[in-house]
Amino acid sequence: MAVHPQKSSNSDGVATTPDFTVKAGLAQMLKGGVIMDVVNAEQARIAEESGACAVMALERVPADIRRDGGVARMSDPSMIKEIQATVTIPVMAKARIGHFVECQILQAIGVDYIDESEVLTPADEMYHVDKSPFRVPFVCGCRNLGEALRRISEGAAMIRTKGEAGTGDVIEAVKHMRTLMWEISRAKSAYECGGDAALRAMAREIGCDLALLKQTVELGKLPVVNFAAGGIATPADAALMMQLGCDGVFVGSGIFKSGDAAKRAKAIVRATTHYQDPQVLAEVSQGLGEAMVGINCGSMAPSEKMAGRGW
Amino acid sequence: MNITVGVLALQGAFREHLHLLQRASEYILKNRLNARLDTTFVFHEIRTAEKLSLCDALIIPGGESTTISLVAARSNLLEPLRDFVKLQRKPTWGTCAGLILLAESANRTKQGGQELIGGLDVRVNRNHFGRQVESFVAELDLPFLHGTSSGTDAAGSAFQGIFIRAPVVERILPHVEGEQKGEEQRQDTVIAPSRQAKGVEARRALSKDVEVLGLLPDRIKKAALKASSVDGEAESADIIAVRQGNVFGTSFHPELTGDIRIHVWWLRQLMQHAEELENSSLTDG
Repeated sequence: MAVHPQKSSNSDGVATTPDFTVKAGLAQMLKGGVIMDVVNAEQARIAEESGACAVMALERVPADIRRDGGVARMSDPSMIKEIQATVTIPVMAKARIGHFVECQILQAIGVDYIDESEVLTPADEMYHVDKSPFRVPFVCGCRNLGEALRRISEGAAMIRTKGEAGTGDVIEAVKHMRTLMWEISRAKSAYECGGDAALRAMAREIGCDLALLKQTVELGKLPVVNFAAGGIATPADAALMMQLGCDGVFVGSGIFKSGDAAKRAKAIVRATTHYQDPQVLAEVSQGLGEAMVGINCGSMAPSEKMAGRGW
Repeated sequence: MNITVGVLALQGAFREHLHLLQRASEYILKNRLNARLDTTFVFHEIRTAEKLSLCDALIIPGGESTTISLVAARSNLLEPLRDFVKLQRKPTWGTCAGLILLAESANRTKQGGQELIGGLDVRVNRNHFGRQVESFVAELDLPFLHGTSSGTDAAGSAFQGIFIRAPVVERILPHVEGEQKGEEQRQDTVIAPSRQAKGVEARRALSKDVEVLGLLPDRIKKAALKASSVDGEAESADIIAVRQGNVFGTSFHPELTGDIRIHVWWLRQLMQHAEELENSSLTDG
C-alpha cells in the first residue's frame, strides 16, 4: 500500500502535498474563530474560556512594543511552554521576518503555528524565511495580493492582513483586505479578457508566481485561509472584517489593553460567529467598558508603521 | 421527499462540508442512487436553534471543540443540540471536533472541562496524536465504503485520512440509559448529560451498540509520520470511525479532501432513514 503519496487534492480540488494539506488544514479548522495575543498563562486561560480558537504567545503585545521601542524578538521559550502546558487550544508564536533560527527553535518546542511577523523587528532585509521545509505551518501578513502570493510561494499555509498592529485603528486592515479583493477581481477580469498573456503581465507587475495567481483566479479567493489582523479592537471591528470576507480574526492588543478583558474577549468571539446578525452584535457590544486607547493611523509618520516591514 | 441537512456553523470548517454535501447530492441525483426519484436535498448553515429545528440531519464540523462548545452554550444552542441528537435522535455526523462533542465521555479537555453533546457511547481522547507537528495524512481502508454503495470515480481506492491534532476513540463504553456515571469517576474526564429518547424510533436508534467503522493501524500512522522504526509485529490500531444507530463520528477530515465518497454514503444513509421513518409512520397510523 502506498502509505505516503506525494500528491493529494484538497477541498478546492487543488493538487497539494500531504505536508501542505495538514498545514493548511489546521488553518481551515481555525476559520470563523478568534486568535488572541496573550503574554502569560493567566491571559491564555481567559482567552481559552472566552472561546478563542487559538492563542498567540508573545512577551509584549504590539501596543507595548510600540511604546517601548528597541528591538522586539521571539519570546522566551519557557514562557511559551508554560502557556502550552496551560491551555489545550493551539498555541502560536511569532518569529522575526527572515529569522529562520527563531523558527527552528519554535518548531523544536512544538508550537502549532509560527507567525513570521512584522510586529517584531525584521532580521533580514533581503529574504523572508523559506517556510516549505518546516514541519510546523506558518502564517504571514500581507497588504496586497502580490505580497500574499509571495508568502504562499515561500510556503505560508495561512495569510492575514497586516493592518497596523497596536493602534486599535482598523483602517489599515480594511485597506489591506479591500486591496486584496480588488486585485483578485482585477486578475479575474484580466484573465477573462486576455487569457494567460494578461495574467502573466499582471504576475510580473505585482511580483508573484503565475501558477499561484491562476489558482487564485480559478478559486476566486486566496488558495489558503485569510484572517484579519492589525487594529481590531471591538466586536463591530471583528464583524466588519468578517463581512468584508475574512475567514477569522486576530486580536492583538485590543483585548488585554482594555477595561474588562474577559467580557470583551467573549463579545468578540460571539461577534465573529454571528457577524451577519446585527441583533447579536448590538447585544454583545453593550457595556464592554473602556476600549484600548487608540492611535489614529492617519497621524502616524510612515516610519512609525509596522506594516511597511517585509515586502 | 425533501431532506434538510444542517451544518453547524459556529466555528471551523463548515463551508468545506457544505461544498462536499452539494457535490455528493449532485452525484446521487445524477446517478439515480436515490430509490425515490422525488428526493431533494437542502443544505443550511446552522447558527441558531430556529434554524436547527428545520433540519432532518446535522453535521458537526472540524474546528476547535472548546470554541464550538462555548459558543454553542452562549448562543443557547447546546440544549437544542442535545435534544436533536439524543432526544429526537436525528442522524448526526461529527468530524474531529464534532466527534469529541458527540462522545458521551472525553478526556484531556481544557482546565475546568468542557461541555459535550453526547450521543456516542465512547470515550474520546482529545488531541491523541499530539500537537500540529504530529498531524499527518494516511491512506485508510474503510470497509463501509466497499461495494457498490459509493460507486464514485475513486471507488475501491484508499481514502485520504487527514488527521489534524486529531482525537481517537480510546474506549467503547457499555450502553447505559442516562449518563456514563462510571466515566465520571475517572480523573480529567468529562461526560455528557443524559436525555430520554422520545418516540419508538428514537428509542430503537438509541439502544443500538457502538460499531467500529474504521481503524488506523499503527504501521500506517508511523509511516505517515516518517517515524524511523516501523515494526511489523504485534499490530495495534486506533479507532478512527464509529457509528451507534444513526450517530456517526470520524476523527479525520473528509471535508478537507475532494473525495465525496463518505458524504455520498452518509446521504444515502439519510435517505434510507427517511424512508424507514415514513414507512413506520404509515404502519403506526
